Amino acid sequence: MSAKKNHVRLAAVVMAGSLALTACSAGSGGGSADGTASKTGVTLALTGEPVNLDFTTTAGAAIPQALMSNVYEGLVEIDQDGEIQPLLAESWELSNGNKTYTFKLREGATFSNGEAFTADDVKFSIERVKSDAWISSLKKKMDVVDSVKVNSDTEVAITLKKPSNAWLFDMGTLVGAIFDPSGVDDLANKAIGTGPYAIDAWNRGQSIEFATRDDYWGEKPAIQTATLRYFADAVATTNALQSGDVDVVYNMQSPELLSSFESDPKYQVLDGTSNGEIILSMNNKKAPFDDKRVRQAVMYAIDRQAVIDTAWNGYGTKVGGPVPTTDPYYEDLNDVYPYDPAKAKSLLKDAGAENLNITFTVPTRPYATAVSEIVVSQLAEVGINAKIESSEFPAVWLDEVFTKHDYQMSVVLAVESRDVLSMFNNPDYYLGYDNSKIKDLAASADAADEAGYVEGMKKVVRTIVDDAAADTLFIFPNIVVADANVTGIPANSVTEALDLTNLGWK
Amino acid sequence: MAEEQVLSAKNRRKASPTLIVGAILVAAVVLAALLSFIWTPYNPVQAFPADRLQGSSAAHLMGTDRYGRDVFSGILYGARITLLVGLVAVGIALLIGTPLGILAGMRRGITEEVTMRGADILLAFPALLVAIMFGAVFGASTLTAMLAIGIGSIPGFARVARSGTLQVMSTEYIMAARASSQSSWRIARRHVMPNIIGMVVVQCSVSFAIAVLAEAALSFLGLGTPPPVPSWGRMLQESQQFLGTYPMLAVWPGSAIAIAVLGFTLLGDGLRDRFDPKLNGER
Repeated sequence: MSAKKNHVRLAAVVMAGSLALTACSAGSGGGSADGTASKTGVTLALTGEPVNLDFTTTAGAAIPQALMSNVYEGLVEIDQDGEIQPLLAESWELSNGNKTYTFKLREGATFSNGEAFTADDVKFSIERVKSDAWISSLKKKMDVVDSVKVNSDTEVAITLKKPSNAWLFDMGTLVGAIFDPSGVDDLANKAIGTGPYAIDAWNRGQSIEFATRDDYWGEKPAIQTATLRYFADAVATTNALQSGDVDVVYNMQSPELLSSFESDPKYQVLDGTSNGEIILSMNNKKAPFDDKRVRQAVMYAIDRQAVIDTAWNGYGTKVGGPVPTTDPYYEDLNDVYPYDPAKAKSLLKDAGAENLNITFTVPTRPYATAVSEIVVSQLAEVGINAKIESSEFPAVWLDEVFTKHDYQMSVVLAVESRDVLSMFNNPDYYLGYDNSKIKDLAASADAADEAGYVEGMKKVVRTIVDDAAADTLFIFPNIVVADANVTGIPANSVTEALDLTNLGWK
Repeated sequence: MAEEQVLSAKNRRKASPTLIVGAILVAAVVLAALLSFIWTPYNPVQAFPADRLQGSSAAHLMGTDRYGRDVFSGILYGARITLLVGLVAVGIALLIGTPLGILAGMRRGITEEVTMRGADILLAFPALLVAIMFGAVFGASTLTAMLAIGIGSIPGFARVARSGTLQVMSTEYIMAARASSQSSWRIARRHVMPNIIGMVVVQCSVSFAIAVLAEAALSFLGLGTPPPVPSWGRMLQESQQFLGTYPMLAVWPGSAIAIAVLGFTLLGDGLRDRFDPKLNGER
């Protein structure tokens, strides 16, 4: 009897102890009100979790958002203004008619598995993108590379098939990530890179915990740990911020909730830009949107300003084309398709598509559901009856829409940087745009000098918009709400990466 | 003794306040639904972005939502969805559950065991779970919501019908009918059904209330009527983000759901008071 009692007591002690432990480990983000300077970690809230850790085979923005700049690094990186800066390469020189880049590499950098970073890793990583190991549609960005030559451990020469303006920028995005040949066995679960953080724990569907690497080659982050926590919806993220569970809500998905934070000195609200376009996609290869007139009718039928105002509380930039304002070849194309329901109706009549019934596949993301209802209402006014079909994001949507192209209309936030060509210069992409008109234009723009590049790309974009390949509803704002004491938050989201390197506490 | 009987007969004729309130609330919902067929102030799915998020006014009785859609029109139209789901779900449960219950009550033995254990199994499965499964397999729609709620309500009907049947089967006139070798079908139709109809009607009303609530819950979770067709549950869900700034957006659909659920529950209670023979004797 007494032995039994002791057991119970023991169990109680163990339970109390473990409860206390969990309370401690969850405490890094708590108690923002007291303002103590001893905090060594920052917790960020995001919506949209990664399915796995492998962006070489899996599409979707969540994976590179978490891993690029933090775990993986490239030879160069894109800074907050969209400019190219050296990272694993200290410097580079152009030769051979602007076709050969000779990179001088940083010494002393190591991967998180202890291996040293050398020119061989650069060769391995670039050639791996070109191999079948990569199945991401973004791998095309590396097609222009002709050869990679290792000159020494710290020097590598990369020769392109033709001069390319876009390539060096792309090297600062996920295709330029440098891998270690011994660290690619299980990319879906293990990420090994040269970055300032290593993944400490990955709780599927909940959070990724990063720990600062003591052996990082560069300036170490001011914090010991950074945690990305994934929430189902925007309201949950702001609730978590208010309760002190998280310190930062990054890329906030519910602008209606902002007013209560803007007036509270405990919080800071950053209204950054992003390179994400909200794309209303129309399957160019499938009826009825294989008819250019029907697509144009949709462009005229939708009042994009009304979409921004109703769906996103007025945040977001109306641009009229699939190019964010931070790209060098951006121009305002709002005048190409002004809101004109009468014109939409007459185009539909010409196309013999009056009283059209379509299915509108809407991914389960806050922006998508918010946008879908206003779009449906505006389409109804010109005689297009769109039936909303909800599609779980990412898994189901990626499978049905993105991979199998089994859809008529959908809406998604396209976040890859300078992605206009990867979206439209590829007839096998899910948009199915016939790129015959832009293929040569894009190629010559890429090979031209800086000014020629910008001019050529503007022509490409105009052609895409004239063809009504897809309706760019607006450029997504990057809204950040955070504890007022958090510093170093990257307000602009110019590449897919969410750079946690500079985070700290006041 | 004679006086008491007269009194209780009077009581029976006079409707209880529960019944009256319930009937009025239900009538309000039905009227709203019928009205939506012939008239709504605006097209409930049409957005007027310029008039978004307005409070109550002469132009918009219940204001407008984030897209500038008229909330009052949505509430009227939503009543239609609510009643449709309730009717079909209760219809499914009634048409399947009641015959099974009667069968179990009359046949007893193995038939009863199989039917009632089947009902128990079904009862162990929450209707919401069934709806989520249906939604995953066939896609979320009003139809899958109706089917799931209907299937989930079958055991209730089977149990009520069975217990009623058991009571009736033990009476002398049934024995007489059996002795005169009337067919089971005839006994069921002539003697059992008329005697349990009151209980079944009560069950209908109560199940209806549950169905209304279940439909709202499913739509709230995105498993019911897909947008943009207005449904009270989804209107409530959409209002969630605006709870701090425009609380009335939640109050309207919330009240509508409350009125419908309360109405059918009270109606059920009132009807039970009238039909249930035991209660009649006591009061």
